[in-house]
Amino acid sequence: MSLRRVWPLVALAALAVWPWVAPRYFVFLASLVLVNVVVAIGLNLLSGYTNQLSFGHAGFLAVGAYVAALTTIHAPAVPVVVTLLIAGAFTAAVGLAFGVPCLRLGGLYLSMATLAFGFVITEAILNLDTLTKGADGLRVPAARLGGWPLSSDTTRYYLTAVVAVLLVAAAVNLVRTRPGRAFLALRESEIAAQASGIPVALYKTAAFGVSAFYTGVAGGLFAFVVGFLSPDAFDVFLSVDFVVMIIVGGLGSVPGSIIGAAVVTVLYDWLAAFQNYRPLIFGTILIACMLFMPGGIVRALEPLSRRT
Amino acid sequence: MTAATIIHVVASGLATGAIYALMALSLVIIYNATRTLNFAQGEMLMMSTFVAWAVQRALGLPLVLTLVVAIVAGGVMAWLVERTIIRRAIGGTHWDVLIITVGLSLILRALAGLAWTHDEFPFPSFFPSAPIVLGPVRLAPVSVGIFGGSLALMAALWALFRFTRLGRAMRAVAQNQRAARLMGISVERMYSTSWVLAGVVGAVAGVLVAPVVFLSSKMGLIVINGFTAAVIGGFGSMPGAVLGGMFLGVLENLAPLYLPSGIRYSVPFVVLVAVLVVRPAGLVGRIERRKV
Amino acid sequence: MSLVASLLIALVALVAVGPAMAQQGVSETEIVLGCSNSFSGPLAYTGEQATRYGVDLYFKVLNDAGGINGRKVRTVYYDDGYKPQEAVANTRKLVEQDKIFAVIAPQGTAPVAATLEYLEENKVPLLFPFQGSPITRGKKYVFSGMTLYDRQSKMMVDYLVGQRKFKTFAVLYQDDDYGKAFLTAYEKDLARHNLKIAAAEPVKRGVTDVSAQIAKLRAASPQVTFLVLTPGPGAQALKERQKIGWTDTVMVSSGPLTDEKYLGLAGDAAEGVEGLSLWPDPLTSDLPGVKAYRAAMQKYFDKNEPNRYSLSGYVAAMLFGEGAKRAGRTLTRETLIGALENVKGFDSGILPPLTIGADHETQKQGFWVRVEQGRFKQLTDWLKSD
Repeated sequence: MSLRRVWPLVALAALAVWPWVAPRYFVFLASLVLVNVVVAIGLNLLSGYTNQLSFGHAGFLAVGAYVAALTTIHAPAVPVVVTLLIAGAFTAAVGLAFGVPCLRLGGLYLSMATLAFGFVITEAILNLDTLTKGADGLRVPAARLGGWPLSSDTTRYYLTAVVAVLLVAAAVNLVRTRPGRAFLALRESEIAAQASGIPVALYKTAAFGVSAFYTGVAGGLFAFVVGFLSPDAFDVFLSVDFVVMIIVGGLGSVPGSIIGAAVVTVLYDWLAAFQNYRPLIFGTILIACMLFMPGGIVRALEPLSRRT
Repeated sequence: MTAATIIHVVASGLATGAIYALMALSLVIIYNATRTLNFAQGEMLMMSTFVAWAVQRALGLPLVLTLVVAIVAGGVMAWLVERTIIRRAIGGTHWDVLIITVGLSLILRALAGLAWTHDEFPFPSFFPSAPIVLGPVRLAPVSVGIFGGSLALMAALWALFRFTRLGRAMRAVAQNQRAARLMGISVERMYSTSWVLAGVVGAVAGVLVAPVVFLSSKMGLIVINGFTAAVIGGFGSMPGAVLGGMFLGVLENLAPLYLPSGIRYSVPFVVLVAVLVVRPAGLVGRIERRKV
Repeated sequence: MSLVASLLIALVALVAVGPAMAQQGVSETEIVLGCSNSFSGPLAYTGEQATRYGVDLYFKVLNDAGGINGRKVRTVYYDDGYKPQEAVANTRKLVEQDKIFAVIAPQGTAPVAATLEYLEENKVPLLFPFQGSPITRGKKYVFSGMTLYDRQSKMMVDYLVGQRKFKTFAVLYQDDDYGKAFLTAYEKDLARHNLKIAAAEPVKRGVTDVSAQIAKLRAASPQVTFLVLTPGPGAQALKERQKIGWTDTVMVSSGPLTDEKYLGLAGDAAEGVEGLSLWPDPLTSDLPGVKAYRAAMQKYFDKNEPNRYSLSGYVAAMLFGEGAKRAGRTLTRETLIGALENVKGFDSGILPPLTIGADHETQKQGFWVRVEQGRFKQLTDWLKSD
């Protein structure tokens, strides 16, 4: 059995037993990592395949989080899986509404548009305060699965882990499907893809929608894991954090998204004790990473994987 | 609202807009030459202003010399960063350089906090605080001064790009790197030059705006307005950056005057998206068409 | 089994179980406290001052003098950058990994609110958060720090309407939890006097220009204009009104704004401005506690200028010290809470005598000031907020 086959099984096993071997705080941290993994995959689906870097994904996360939270508050009978689907679908709709007019934009222009999107969303959350409690913040009740409230770290972790694994599997398999190959073609050359008969505009829109769906679901998970939402949580710096994750991990790669999200989240947490030195250390590591591992961690590890 | 009030608010907006224009210009200068975004532009501005302030306090320099110190600091810092860090990232993609500048912005802000704390400090102004009274209209000298100073700098830049050999070389590199290299222009030299120029422009903007927004480690966040202004004007176009900046500054000031609090802060971003959708080239710019 | 063996086993069992039964965060020699606070982001300065130059300053003095009942105090801080999700993660780490005894002096309504439920569930005391929203009321394990915003508003409105006989009010407020909390409070308190707010304008955090907002407020001709902002925009508002020559309104700063930073930034535009001051002047006050604070700052952090944020952290630590001292050598979370609830007439040498009761509100004070020649001049005695 090659290393490549063994990796996912080992990872799944580790995920399954984690709450039994790790202290409580690290179960919580693992949940956060998994949430970020889902966002990173969503972002990479957009940016890695269609070469459009989004600086507004914190906005999608916010939409998903608030939709999930408000659904749980106002319709507590809805099972958590449905709540997450609602959050994802709503966010996808918002993403499509936003993405369609911005289709023609490339690279930098789309990035600017997404930046604007992020700001507009946080403003909207702040101002719709009868619904969202605005600046005071919104307490998120426990998610319910078949009548049981998921009110412990372990139950929330398993919810997050199961959802994350499903979404990762979907992303990996996407590449094998026809639409997936179309996405890959888009990445190589938009013009060549168009010339081959791939409806570029349609696929770019779809990328937006899928990316928003993933991030919306992640937002719902975020809401349940953290338990409290406020507009301050979703600023442009969070969007930049997600961009950092996929570039450090490796643009356009599912393993890259996972590695990037895990490394950045854990590193950031580990550096918390350095207080006002943390940005300094983190920034230095970022620069070193990009200087010595251009193309991200996945590209740097490529020689290793070839041997297996 | 009386006409006098509107004039005052617009004048104030033009001043802020001039700063946004300078920020946008520095971003565009780097982008044109290197096709990369400098996420740390605001932090570099902040650093050069802090250095000038520290030197001014230590030596008791007059304000004009303080401006010179800022310019030197901004230029040197930009040159160092480009030569030692950015240049090494040649092997990567443009996104790699972007992340590097993200890291740089974090480092600079943290360094400023460690050196001077994250407190806010007053900064001496070139301009008196007593308003200029023209009939019913009152103009703040600082608004007029910022606007005038920025215009002077923009004029100098225009002259540089239009009439000097260096300026022409930079324009050549912006248009077509390969051809410029074939013509004997050192593209690497132009990279450095664009960074230094951006650093200098940022330093001047910093000294002009610090008396108004106060000197602090978070002063660099103004770069986001610079991005917005540059895109509205047409990214890549320098007159576009100027127009975009002015437009944004005035828009931001007029919005609270006429719009309810719920939407007024979204206006610049809604306008940005509207511009992108309707006329992506911005007010003035041109979309580059990629040849197959 | 022999007696000796049984005794040995019992001894081993006791030693093994002993530490597990002892209070988390309290050992023979030390007490561990901590918080998640802003060391980066919009409130980095106040966060750092309240913790490292405030709480830690007092504990340095205390530890040098032998500590509390033979135990020294150690603090652990993590940066949350004012993000509630970071505050949650940091606070959990503090409680579960660093095993702190109590949380002391965290900052901000949203970051603190995000951690409230977790701390109450896990019975961890949350002591003296640097925030004034009433969300902390009625929680068993929380003791408020700053005079809560609704009390501040009550003091301000009752004084301005009752004693100074003002009738028309406008508000310039920051567009976040702090600003909106005061806006709501002012509305309520003015309504008690059958008055309404004539105009209210929000200011986005970090914005550079307030000329439009000031123009709109001026158009409403208020006699009093409340400023609920941070020092930067607050000073800009004063400079703006100086620019347009708007002299016929009294600018009144809210408690958190009334400090020397804001004065320093506004320069001569601050002349004649009034406000509610929550603290005596940290630089010039002759009160014994303030002098001790300055001496300590000079000794341990001589480059750091005394300011109200570090002063509030200093007092927070002092209050903890008093509560822990009274709780005695058997220091547990329960004994601490009991001791704090019984604090009566405690003289800090800085604030009026503090009495904490079942309401867990440690500070209810404020007094009126006006800026004269670049400093706050005290106009009234300590106002009542009950």
